[in-house]
Amino acid sequence: MPAITSVVTESRFALGLTFADFVAQATVNQDKFVLNGTTVPLTEEDTSFLRKAAAHPGGPARMLALAEAWCGDVYRELPTAARIAEVTGMELRVFLRDQNLDIMEEFLSNDGKSRAIPVLVFYTKDLEYLTHWTERSASAHAGLAVAMNEAKTKLSLPQTATFGTLRDADRQALLQEVIARVRPFSDQWRRDAIQEIRQLLANALSIPNAG
Amino acid sequence: MQAENKSTAARPLVYTIRGCDSCVKLLKKFEAEGVDFEERRVELSQATLEEARGYGSLVPIVIWPDGRVEQGFGDSIGCFI
Repeated sequence: MPAITSVVTESRFALGLTFADFVAQATVNQDKFVLNGTTVPLTEEDTSFLRKAAAHPGGPARMLALAEAWCGDVYRELPTAARIAEVTGMELRVFLRDQNLDIMEEFLSNDGKSRAIPVLVFYTKDLEYLTHWTERSASAHAGLAVAMNEAKTKLSLPQTATFGTLRDADRQALLQEVIARVRPFSDQWRRDAIQEIRQLLANALSIPNAG
Repeated sequence: MQAENKSTAARPLVYTIRGCDSCVKLLKKFEAEGVDFEERRVELSQATLEEARGYGSLVPIVIWPDGRVEQGFGDSIGCFI
């Protein structure tokens, strides 16, 4: 949750980058941002709901994104944020996490221990906080956990083993298995992220999650 | 495809992202243990990123002088690249 007195003021919000400027300044992964921008899995029903939410009194008019171009979760999900802004008319401003740690401090995850990105924060036109979404969908977190357990079984590793307690060779074998298992689910995670964002906005505005 | 640019000296080559907690922890460990290593920062150029992807999908990636490749560090799998 953001602080009662947020560092995100009108003047600070205006300092954020547009999505185009964020991609232009990126030293890596420009191709992935462009490619993922062409494949955002936003359905007509999603668009209809998001437009209704944006038009609702006190609805989202501004979106702040914390991001870094090197992060896989960012190049998977930030293009979705840009597309949502495009179809709803929300003003999107992107802030580089490592240059804006004071903003990041307002949106830590994992019980305040993690600076996970991307963070997408939705505000009213008057910059009143509505809700925020972080990093990846719940299905992605769950999928990683399932992949980890399945990989341990395949490699005959104890289910109680943690990544940090395994021998180097076992850890590397486990990683290869996990990566192979989760890679096919990237598009599903993107679709699930949109559904989570919809539900967060529906909850924040007390409106039905329907297009 | 295996990257061409291997660790040629008798010291490990480490691909990192300075914003990645696992990478920072690995660097601190190496420094505390006095390990002589070469660091290549993935976030600074697409060429270095592609080089790292030739070895794996997660940083940190360590290429040991004997050719062993290790991804991730500690309790975390690391950061997808």
